[in-house]
Amino acid sequence: MQAQDKNDTANLPKLGRVLNKIDSYNGVRYIFIFLITACGVLFLIDFFIEKHGYFTVENLYGFYGFYGFVMFSGIIFSVKILRTIIKRPENYYGTKAIDQEVYPKDELEKVDHGS
Amino acid sequence: MVHSLTTPTAFWFFYSVILLLALPSGKLRSSFLLMVPILAGIHLWNLPLGNLVQVKLFNFDLELMRVDKLSRIFGLIFCLAAFLGNLYAAHLRDTVQQVAALLYAGAAIGAVFAGDLITLFIYWEGTALASVFLIWARRTVASYHTGMRYLIIQIGSGVILLVGVALFFNETGSIRFELMTLTSLATWLIFLSFGIKCAFPLLHNWVQDSYPAATVTGTVILSAFTTKLAVYALARGFAGTEILIYIGAAMTLFPIFFAEIENDLRRVLAYSTNNQLGFMVVGIGIGTELSMNGAVSHAVAHILFKSLLFMSVGAVLFRTGTCKASELGGVYRTMPRTAIFCLIGAASISAFPLFSGFVTKSLILDAAAKGHYYIIWAILLFASAGVLSHSGIKIPYFTFFSHDSGLRPKEAPLHMQAAMGITAFLCIFIGCFPSTLYSLLPYPVEYQAYTTSHVVNQLQLLFFALLAFALLMRSGIHPPEIKAINLDSDWIYRRFLPSLIVKVKNLIDGFIFRIHRLIPLKLYSALRLIHILLGREGALARVLPVGSMVLWMVILLTITLVVSFIGF
Repeated sequence: MQAQDKNDTANLPKLGRVLNKIDSYNGVRYIFIFLITACGVLFLIDFFIEKHGYFTVENLYGFYGFYGFVMFSGIIFSVKILRTIIKRPENYYGTKAIDQEVYPKDELEKVDHGS
Repeated sequence: MVHSLTTPTAFWFFYSVILLLALPSGKLRSSFLLMVPILAGIHLWNLPLGNLVQVKLFNFDLELMRVDKLSRIFGLIFCLAAFLGNLYAAHLRDTVQQVAALLYAGAAIGAVFAGDLITLFIYWEGTALASVFLIWARRTVASYHTGMRYLIIQIGSGVILLVGVALFFNETGSIRFELMTLTSLATWLIFLSFGIKCAFPLLHNWVQDSYPAATVTGTVILSAFTTKLAVYALARGFAGTEILIYIGAAMTLFPIFFAEIENDLRRVLAYSTNNQLGFMVVGIGIGTELSMNGAVSHAVAHILFKSLLFMSVGAVLFRTGTCKASELGGVYRTMPRTAIFCLIGAASISAFPLFSGFVTKSLILDAAAKGHYYIIWAILLFASAGVLSHSGIKIPYFTFFSHDSGLRPKEAPLHMQAAMGITAFLCIFIGCFPSTLYSLLPYPVEYQAYTTSHVVNQLQLLFFALLAFALLMRSGIHPPEIKAINLDSDWIYRRFLPSLIVKVKNLIDGFIFRIHRLIPLKLYSALRLIHILLGREGALARVLPVGSMVLWMVILLTITLVVSFIGF
């Protein structure tokens, strides 16, 4: 179902065209810059707000940011190891599992503008 | 003997099945399916609190309509979920699914208002029986087998509940469904039965197995009721039971890792359900007013944002035929509205300020902190970062953005957009005006979700986690989406136990073969004769069809009747 007119935006709905335009203007880069700025600002704000957490650790500057960053990275690194242990091919459970089954067509309304 | 002040809300759904079948399939039927939950919801909204319907059956007083603040909010959200599910499924012309959806919603609502354990049991099994048809409605070999596995586990939960209830009645002489303590086998069995439906760790796999196997619309409806009914049952029966705190914490933790590497996006959402249920279970385990409010409100918010996520992924499946992350990507171009609805669902489940998850989950986290559960609090915070990773980022990113898969599917049908739009609106509404939801909770709420430090803390957690994601993606460390499955606890009953049975059978066969060789020939031929006559295929042991058995019974009874008639 590879699109023949993949880069043709004329067929896209209005909202899709706008989003596509943002994407083509290096949107990902701007989002990344926005993220870094937002993180910086949020870290700095921490010095100016009154904290009244239940635990002392909560009152450390940037605790939540640090926790979020480290934990998220931790999850990603550990799933890489987990995957090597529990990964199996899609036909592992045979035909009695839906893993490699094609969804019945008559229940769908497949419409693809690109094909 | 019936003492009734109103019609039980569940009956609205059951009666409507008869009407539904009388209506011609088409738009009229779809509109009728929308009207039922709305009318039932309005009726419920206007009901006074109290025990409104009592039925005396044998020596038991059954209470079919115990309306209090706890059951009412679950009843209302179930009506709303049924409405949204039916709206999403308005294109369906499949009577099986329409009837199943009505019966399933009705049974779940009936269970919520059950004031006694027998009524609870009946509805408990009702949800199992009705819901399996949403899986079987896919009408494939795999969905049939998955449905059977689902049904065995669900019915099993009901059977355990029944045994528990019988023992409980034997011990206490009461069948009232009220707060229990884990001091006897009876209450442990009831607890286990609730635990199966609530997908406790190692009992959880039916969720991941069955939800992705249901139909596009079936999964949306499935996701709303069974597990949340179990949350209600735990809240009613086991609030403040300490073990729930640790079970809940485990539930929030382990699905994060499985969800992160799962390729089937509906299964990712099933894992995510597990993780969110964990928050609710912790809240119930803590058992304070604040934490109970947190658990209940999070159940309400979860029904909405999880439905929204299932709807958006379902819409992509509806248009492309797949919901696997490895096959999708870049779909936002042609399905921009669905993409935005999905992002709203993702923001809600990740608990971004102004979205529903923020104002409900924080009640539970706060209750954990207030109760000095230091480690539990840290685990819940970790799980919050985990939610962002699989539901907040993975679902929208790999479905709608990421690399361009080249797929250019048409935008979701209008009724699906309407269902997603309303759900998305509700997610934002609850996030912006939490007092509306708070006012319906079982206990009075004196909680300010929007304090500066709380908002900043949460934003810090989420934005730094997002930054980690962006850095890991750019550096290529983030694991790619690949066509594969991952082992989970279902491996025990899908691979290990069957292979064990085969091994044992071979062992026994070999043993019998050796014994055969030791038996003298004459004795052996005698044994053969017995086998021919009485063995599996033997003339004397042949299984006759039930019909002929019934016929013989009728003939015998007729003869008896005639003989006795002549005799007198």
